[in-house]
Amino acid sequence: MTTIAPTRVTSLPEPRGRRAGLQGALASEWTKLRTVRSTWICLAIIVVAGVGLSALVLSIEAGRWAHLAAGERALFDPVRSSQTGLFLAEFVVGVLGALVVTSEYGTGAMRTTLASVPHRTSVLIAKLLVVGAVVLVVAEVTAFASFFVGQAVLLGQGGTSLPAGSTLIDQVHAANVPVYGIGHPGALRAVFFGGLYLVLLTFLACAIGFILRHTAGSISTYVGVLLVLPLIVSILPSSFANSFEKYLPSNLGLGMTAVTTRTTDFAGTLLTPWVAAGVLAAYAVLASLLAGWLLVRRDA
Amino acid sequence: MISAVGLSKAYGSTRAVDDLSFEVRSGVVTGFLGPNGSGKSTTMRMVMGLDRPTAGSVTINGVGYHDLRWPLREVGALLEAKAVHPGRSAYAHLLSLAQTNDIPRSRVDDVLTMVGLDGVSRRKAGKFSLGMSQRLGIASALLGDPGVLLFDEPINGLDPEGILWVRNLLKSLAAEGRTVFVSSHLMSEMAQTATDLVVIGRGRLISDTSVEDFIVSNTESTVLVRTPETERLQGVLAAAGLRVAPGPDGGLVVTGATAVQVGEAAHAAGVMLHELSPQQASLEEVFMDMTSDMVDYHGLAPDAPSDGVPAGAPTGAGAEVAR
Repeated sequence: MTTIAPTRVTSLPEPRGRRAGLQGALASEWTKLRTVRSTWICLAIIVVAGVGLSALVLSIEAGRWAHLAAGERALFDPVRSSQTGLFLAEFVVGVLGALVVTSEYGTGAMRTTLASVPHRTSVLIAKLLVVGAVVLVVAEVTAFASFFVGQAVLLGQGGTSLPAGSTLIDQVHAANVPVYGIGHPGALRAVFFGGLYLVLLTFLACAIGFILRHTAGSISTYVGVLLVLPLIVSILPSSFANSFEKYLPSNLGLGMTAVTTRTTDFAGTLLTPWVAAGVLAAYAVLASLLAGWLLVRRDA
Repeated sequence: MISAVGLSKAYGSTRAVDDLSFEVRSGVVTGFLGPNGSGKSTTMRMVMGLDRPTAGSVTINGVGYHDLRWPLREVGALLEAKAVHPGRSAYAHLLSLAQTNDIPRSRVDDVLTMVGLDGVSRRKAGKFSLGMSQRLGIASALLGDPGVLLFDEPINGLDPEGILWVRNLLKSLAAEGRTVFVSSHLMSEMAQTATDLVVIGRGRLISDTSVEDFIVSNTESTVLVRTPETERLQGVLAAAGLRVAPGPDGGLVVTGATAVQVGEAAHAAGVMLHELSPQQASLEEVFMDMTSDMVDYHGLAPDAPSDGVPAGAPTGAGAEVAR
C-alpha cells in the first residue's frame, strides 16, 4: 500500500465497528432527544393529561350513573373513559414526532446530521426507533396508570365490579357504576393498545416531518389528518362515508381501545382492535417508506 | 486532498455550478473565492455528500463522501454557524455528533477548550452570539481530528480578535499537514490567509492558482506620479510612448512602465516631481475586476445615474460609491 498524503497521526482512539451507521446514530438521537426541553414538556403533558383526565371523566361518570338512561349506561366503557387523555396526547406526540425531524431542518442541523452519518436510512431508522421507544415507555406507563387511577376513582365513588360472565344487560341494570378489572375481557389489550396507538402516530408524524421538512407544515398536516379529515368525511353522504370512516387514524384509535366492538356501540363503523392496529401500522410503515425514499433521493 | 472533476449542479435551468474542476492540496490553506451567489456553498455541499451533482464528481483523498467509513474523522466542516438546535447546549450538540462516529466524550471537552467555549459549554446554543456560534461550528469541524477541513465563510460575524484567531487557526491546521479549504467573498481576507486560490464566478472556474501568481498574472503595474506641471509632464510622457491617464488628486497614472522610466523621462525634460510611486493593485481590486461581470446581484448606488436624470445632474458622488 502506498500513501500519497503525508501521514498525520491522530490522538483519537480507533473507532469500534465497521463504519458510522445505525449504532452511533441511535446513541446520537437519544442524546439529541433528551437534551431539549420540548421533549420533557411533551412527555409531561402526556402523563398529566392522561391520568388527570381519567380521574376527572370517571368521577363525573360515577356521579351521573344513577341518572343515566339505559342507552347511555350500555355505552359506558370504564376502560375507554380511563383513556380520555389520548384525545390530547395524540396531538402532543404529533408535535414531538414532527419536531424530532423538522427542528433540524429548521436550523440546518440536518446537514450536520447527514454528513456525520452518510447512510441516510440509518438516520431515519434511528430517529424512529429512539422517539418511538421513548413514547412507548411513557405512553404505556400513562395508559396503565390512567386505567388503575380511573378504576380507583370509580371504586371510591361506590363503583362495583360486575360478576364474571355479566352481559351488557347486567351493566344497564347495575345499581352502582361498574368497575372493570384489568382481567376483564379485552381490558388489558385495550389499555396496551392505547399506548401503542400513540407510538404509531409518533411514527406517522416523524415520517410527515421527513417528507415536508417544515415544522408548521408538518404539524398542520398531522392535525389535518387527525382532526379535519374526519370532519370532511362526516359531511359526505353517509352511504359513502361509512365505508371510509373506519380507516381514519382517529377512528382506528377508537377501534384499538374499545373493550369489545359491541353491536350497540358504533355499529359497523369501527374495525376490530387487531385489524385497526394493523391498518394504522401499515400507514406508519408506508409513510416511513416514502420518507426514507425521499430522504435518500433529495438534496439535504 | 479534495478533487473535483467536471462538477455541475443545475436547479431547473439555473446552473449554480458549471463544469467545475479543481484540486485542493494538503498542507496549505486554499481560499475558495467568489461573489455572493457564485456557487461556493453549493460546491461545498456537494463535497460533503449533501447535494447530488447533476454531472461530474468530487472526491476526498480519492474517495466519494458516501464511501467514507468514519466521515467526521476524515472531513470536518463548518457549513452554517447557526445550524444548532437553539435549546440544546454546546456540549450536548457536540456529544451527539461525536457519538455518530465513535469519538470519545473527552474529545468534546478538548475541542470546546480549543475554541474557547469551555466556560459556556452548558449554555443553550440559541443564546450564543454569531461569533460564539462560529466557534461552536469550528469545534464541530475539529471534533474528529480530520485531515480535511471545509469552512464556509468562517469569519462572518467575528470581531477583529476573532478574525485573527481564525486566521491563525487555519494556518496552523494547514501547517499540521491538513487540507484546509476556506470559502469567502472577501478577497482581502484570503490575501492574508490563503496560499492557493480557487476563484469562481457564476458557478464557473475563473482561476485555480497560488495567491501570488493570481496577482501577478492579473495586474498591470502602474506608477503614480505627481508634479506641479501636470499638463507638461503628461505631454512629455506621452511623447515618450507611455500610457498616461489622470490619477487621483491631480496626479497622473502611468500604465505599463516602471518608476525608473517615468523618472528618467521627467528628468530629461526638466520637470520637477513631487511624488513617484509604483502601485501594486490589491488583491481586492483584481478580484473585483475579474468578477465584476459575474456578480448576480449588483447594488444600486443611492444616486446612481440612470435614464431620465437631467443632463448635468451631479452624479460624481454616485459614481464614486458605485466603484
